[in-house]
Amino acid sequence: MTDFTDSLKPRHDGTATLQAERGRSSVDVDELARHLLSRDGFLQRQKKVLAVLSRVKLFKKDQQMNLSRPDRYHLALARAKALQRIVRKHGWDHDDYKMCEYLVDEMSPFHLHMTMFVTTVREQGSEAQKRHWMPKILDYDIIGCYAQTELGHGSNVRGLETTATWDPAQKEFEIHSPYLTASKWWNGAMGRTATHAIVVAQLLLPRSDNDKAYDNYGPQTFIVQIRDKKTHQPLHGIVVGDIGPKYGYAGMDNGYMLFDHFRVPKSAMLSRYAEVSDATGAFTRLGHPAVVYGSLTFVRGQIIMHARLVLARAVTVVVRYSAIRRQFRDRDSTSEQDDEMKVLDYPTVQIRILPLLATTFALHYTGEMMYSLYHKSRETIEKGDFGPLAELHSASSGLKSLCTMLAADGIETCRRAMGGHGFGGGSGLVGINADYLSKPTVEGDNWMITQQVAAYLIKKMTEAVKDPSAPASDPTASLFQFYLANRDHRIPQSPVQGSATDDQAIVDVFQWRAADLSYRAYHARVVEKKPWTRLMIQLHNLSRAYSEQILVTNFCNSFSSSSSTLSAPTPAVLRTCFRLYALTTLDASASSFTLTNAVAPHAVPVLQDAILDLMAELRPHAVKLVDAWSIPDWLLDSALGRSDGRVYEDLFDRAHRRNPLNGVTFNVDWRSEEIVLGSGDGGRGILAKL
Amino acid sequence: MGQTPDWVKQLKPSGPQGHELLAAERSKSTLPVAKLSELIHTKEVLERRARILEILKSEQVFDKSQNYFKGRIERFEAALARAKKLRSLRVKHGWNLQEYRTASDLISEPGPYGLHDSMFLVTIGEQGTPEQRDFFLKRAENYEIIGCYAQTELGHGSNVRGLETTATWSPQDKGFIIHSPHLTASKWWIGSLGKTANHAIVMAQLIIAGKSYGPHPFVVQIRDLKTHEALDNVHVGDIGPKFGYNTMDNGFLLFNNVKVPYISMLARFSHVDPSSNQYVRRGSPSLVYGTLTWVRSTIVMQAGSVLARGVTIATRYSAIRRQFQDRDAPESEKGENPVLNYTMVQIRLLPLLAATFALHFTGTRMMQMYQQNQEKMSIGDANKDSKRGPGPEETSIGSDILADLHATSCGLKSLSSTIAAEGLEVCRRACGGHGYSSFSGIGPWYADYLPTTTWEGDNYMLTQQVARYLLKSARSVLSSQPPTNDTTRILHNYHSRADIGCAFDILSSDSDIVDAFAWRISFLTFEASKHRDEQKKPWNDLLVDFYRLSKAHSQYMVVKNFHEALQSHDTISQVDSETLEVLKKLYRLYALHTLEQEGSEFYASGAVTVKQISLARTNAVMKLLKDIRPHAVRLVDSWAFDDWVLDSSLGREDGKVYEDMFYRASELNPLNQITVNPYPESAVLFKKDEREERRSKL
Repeated sequence: MTDFTDSLKPRHDGTATLQAERGRSSVDVDELARHLLSRDGFLQRQKKVLAVLSRVKLFKKDQQMNLSRPDRYHLALARAKALQRIVRKHGWDHDDYKMCEYLVDEMSPFHLHMTMFVTTVREQGSEAQKRHWMPKILDYDIIGCYAQTELGHGSNVRGLETTATWDPAQKEFEIHSPYLTASKWWNGAMGRTATHAIVVAQLLLPRSDNDKAYDNYGPQTFIVQIRDKKTHQPLHGIVVGDIGPKYGYAGMDNGYMLFDHFRVPKSAMLSRYAEVSDATGAFTRLGHPAVVYGSLTFVRGQIIMHARLVLARAVTVVVRYSAIRRQFRDRDSTSEQDDEMKVLDYPTVQIRILPLLATTFALHYTGEMMYSLYHKSRETIEKGDFGPLAELHSASSGLKSLCTMLAADGIETCRRAMGGHGFGGGSGLVGINADYLSKPTVEGDNWMITQQVAAYLIKKMTEAVKDPSAPASDPTASLFQFYLANRDHRIPQSPVQGSATDDQAIVDVFQWRAADLSYRAYHARVVEKKPWTRLMIQLHNLSRAYSEQILVTNFCNSFSSSSSTLSAPTPAVLRTCFRLYALTTLDASASSFTLTNAVAPHAVPVLQDAILDLMAELRPHAVKLVDAWSIPDWLLDSALGRSDGRVYEDLFDRAHRRNPLNGVTFNVDWRSEEIVLGSGDGGRGILAKL
Repeated sequence: MGQTPDWVKQLKPSGPQGHELLAAERSKSTLPVAKLSELIHTKEVLERRARILEILKSEQVFDKSQNYFKGRIERFEAALARAKKLRSLRVKHGWNLQEYRTASDLISEPGPYGLHDSMFLVTIGEQGTPEQRDFFLKRAENYEIIGCYAQTELGHGSNVRGLETTATWSPQDKGFIIHSPHLTASKWWIGSLGKTANHAIVMAQLIIAGKSYGPHPFVVQIRDLKTHEALDNVHVGDIGPKFGYNTMDNGFLLFNNVKVPYISMLARFSHVDPSSNQYVRRGSPSLVYGTLTWVRSTIVMQAGSVLARGVTIATRYSAIRRQFQDRDAPESEKGENPVLNYTMVQIRLLPLLAATFALHFTGTRMMQMYQQNQEKMSIGDANKDSKRGPGPEETSIGSDILADLHATSCGLKSLSSTIAAEGLEVCRRACGGHGYSSFSGIGPWYADYLPTTTWEGDNYMLTQQVARYLLKSARSVLSSQPPTNDTTRILHNYHSRADIGCAFDILSSDSDIVDAFAWRISFLTFEASKHRDEQKKPWNDLLVDFYRLSKAHSQYMVVKNFHEALQSHDTISQVDSETLEVLKKLYRLYALHTLEQEGSEFYASGAVTVKQISLARTNAVMKLLKDIRPHAVRLVDSWAFDDWVLDSSLGREDGKVYEDMFYRASELNPLNQITVNPYPESAVLFKKDEREERRSKL
């Protein structure tokens, strides 16, 4: 299709604009990229996998937003299968496969199979169960999902309604859904894809003195075949299907499932940590029951690691586009001939996106910390020592809550900072926004799970108050001891004085605030015995303050270790990011810092000027910093965020040449029932689809 | 998938049923829902809605059950079929404009005739000469001409003066040549343009003899009236899928030196004299902004009810959804707690519930101001100062109600649409996992509402206009001019008392709260004035301050209007004293929650002490949550959304949340009519597809 539009060019050349931006900063992008993304060969892997996937037509992304829900699933299933074939053909390992999922950027109907399903079997299955199931799983002879949440129950596992009742006569369990609200709900890959499910159900065992009465042993996991191997129809006694369209995740078949006295053999119960005795029907624990939450903790850890890349992606798009987009002449400009300003030079734009750019790095250093904390704790759990699980579970839930919120809100802030085009499909942030928004609720509602952190901190503070000089077992304990020793003579700090910023004072005020809020929560709950429900808001704020303290502390610690190997000016730029993240966070919750005596009230008003100065320092490096996150154009799938700056050419191309709606001419006269011009269908076609 | 087996049909939700829980909620409070509905909407509106809703429900084309499953083209097709049906219903029932708008609101999806019905007709009406109205309006009202409003471009949004499309006067033809010199000149985002319109109002830079006279509106035919194909050298189409609004054909449009006749330029306020080839201004160009101001007032007005939909859904569902046992509950009261009892849920939802009322009352007040302005204008002093520039900020203070209205409308549009959009997302997340399902009804609604935060002026950009207005007002106070309106009055008051200081009893006096908000905005205004006028800081460096300034001013406006509305005879005469007391609590909750959120500004201005902020947070707000909690369901009931409008499983009036979720998933969901082959080694994807079978049975 050639027409007069082919020769039109944008008024300003985006490629030259971005080149000029890059010329203004001497940050070594490759070096910073290696610093951020070397773990497990991430960068090389990205390159290798991208080279293959970007050539396969099935993975082309430009039509998917036009498709209906059934078509989106159709496409996602085709991609999931194709990926398996590609992985086998190239002999790729699991990390390569995860890279594929990351780059294809769509929740795959096989996703749960290789995450929650296999992890649960591996961690909770007995040796015999693993020998039986693992080969089938790895070969995709069976395809699994993880069925925990129910229609009426989300985060609270103990409230689940599905039951698994032991039948001592047949030596079987009977899985049953007593209510409509017992229906499994939201479980990914279950709606249409899976053949097997891990079902979490309340274990009911008959009492030894009265076999008509049952005792509840709490939620246990069962591996259950749900569809026929040949016909793929649900087995008799099971109703299962897809729950319908969602905000995002269009390619995933989240499902519902109900059981009607469905019988499974004894071997269905995953029994590494708990078992029902054949002979007596008695329940035996073989380990720490808290390990059931182990895989949940693992998933949270991964969500946090993922959050930095997700946010980096949104920030990449908005920084590049804002460096190209122009709007209004400077009000102080005196010449009519001046061009309009790049919006990235507006402080009102900077204040929305540069702190988020800084946040990507804050998430990074804490993600690194989480990674080692998980692996450290993992080893001791495998050895049978569950001690560190409390610290791990608590840290992971609080951080997960904060990091996903920062990323989800951050994507949306970036999208809106781009004005009208941010709303369009060409922004590349529409899909990611919708998909990622599930994160603040998946795996425990962000507001709900923060209670676990608070409960943990209250416990730690109680211990510290009881014995303030006991040897500190972890950083939290030593922080609390420091706090208790100094709370009577605390002098509120001023992290910014004149033009000087004191990084240690920044860390101090975040830690002090978290400790003081912990003490207040301890006092309200333990000393004053206030009702828990009434304290929830306070406890939520405590969790947030504690997690922010972790982010700030880890970011600051990074300067003494790894980043010192970077060449100038990168370390100084990262320090600017640290200060910007910390001070904007401080400014946003200023009253919380002053009320806890962490910061002096007179130190707050000066923050706004300090923040403006930091943004001015960071501004010239913005484009290079986002370049360092190395998000490929293919993954960005964004006209606005293209690394070559051809924003307007791409937007126009998508609208004009790649938009199927433009292949249809409509009959717009209201007197005619016909909808598609010349179809003569009299409107019947559309009615049939309603 | 076969028929649903009987054992599934017989299943009920566990524990107390949704309808029982909602009935219990409603019995906890004696608020007169019907009376309150009348206060919000008026009897007349409620009656009109009910009448029209009956008609819409009986038409199959408006059935919503498959909306969430469809692809982009099907969505658009359905939307076009609905738009046509709506038009024929209007003719059939003789609906007036209000009735027609009510019907559109009830359908609540953007439609392909949307811009024709609003901006196109309004602009010709307001900016056309009598001859032009004769020529275009009659055919447009009859839908022979279907129009749209083409202002924004690929490279340009809010800044009208930066538009690249040109309209060059041709002295030979006595007409204009419309042209797009760059790719970035392409009109973009224009509603109803992509596939529907055959005419467009095109905003283009008027050029006469090489000199530019700024943006002007032209009515241009873009498609053939018969074939509906684009005219020669006009390039037009749909811009593709979006975050929301996918039932609307937002379009692009490029011109390759297209000649249009003299009558095209809407010439009520300025025209080109065909004999002298001179540009002639003949009215107040500020009026060009009248339409935008009207649109913004509507946005403020709607923000309350837009948010109320989300709050209705989240509140009802939170009264039914149970999660975790209360840690302190006695053994006898075992069972999980409705999440609405959690303060953590209350602190998210109840301030938003209060905001729905706050925005509603503010919106009502804005519309009154717009009407007053219209009346003033029609008296005929529009030509008074035609020498000033086209920007509204150039108007002189006190002499022109438009300045006040425009400044107010900018700031309040920005604040209210931000509160509504962000509030909807808070509501969605407060629903936990189910909030993510399209059946929650919040997500799709949010996605369609979101563009409001950027269109008609980006929310951040708009705030500069408020700042300019406030700075100008400050200058007038500093030069000892007497106060002429509310803004100068509060500034004057602050200025005369700044040295003495203030003491506001925000925790026990409702009017002191308003004064504290006034004090804070006055403080911020004079601070900004110091930075700009004394220290001569660059405008650009002050933008963040200006944003805060605008937000603070609009918050003051909302608090003030809400407070005044509750004092007014109109309100007091309509509701009993208990209801009024609950409304006052909503007022306090909105105001104190806002105050507490913006604590550091209030503290810095000296309006309140740190101790007061702390007490507001830990005592006053918590107490208000507790007091409002029992009325929550009745309060949302009073917004009177019909289930058909909400289209939400979670927000059903009868509380049948889980039954409806399950019904939609299992019965309405076309994906369940497909059986797949899941194994990677097989290339077969769908081994059985019963969708066609189902369809042919209809």
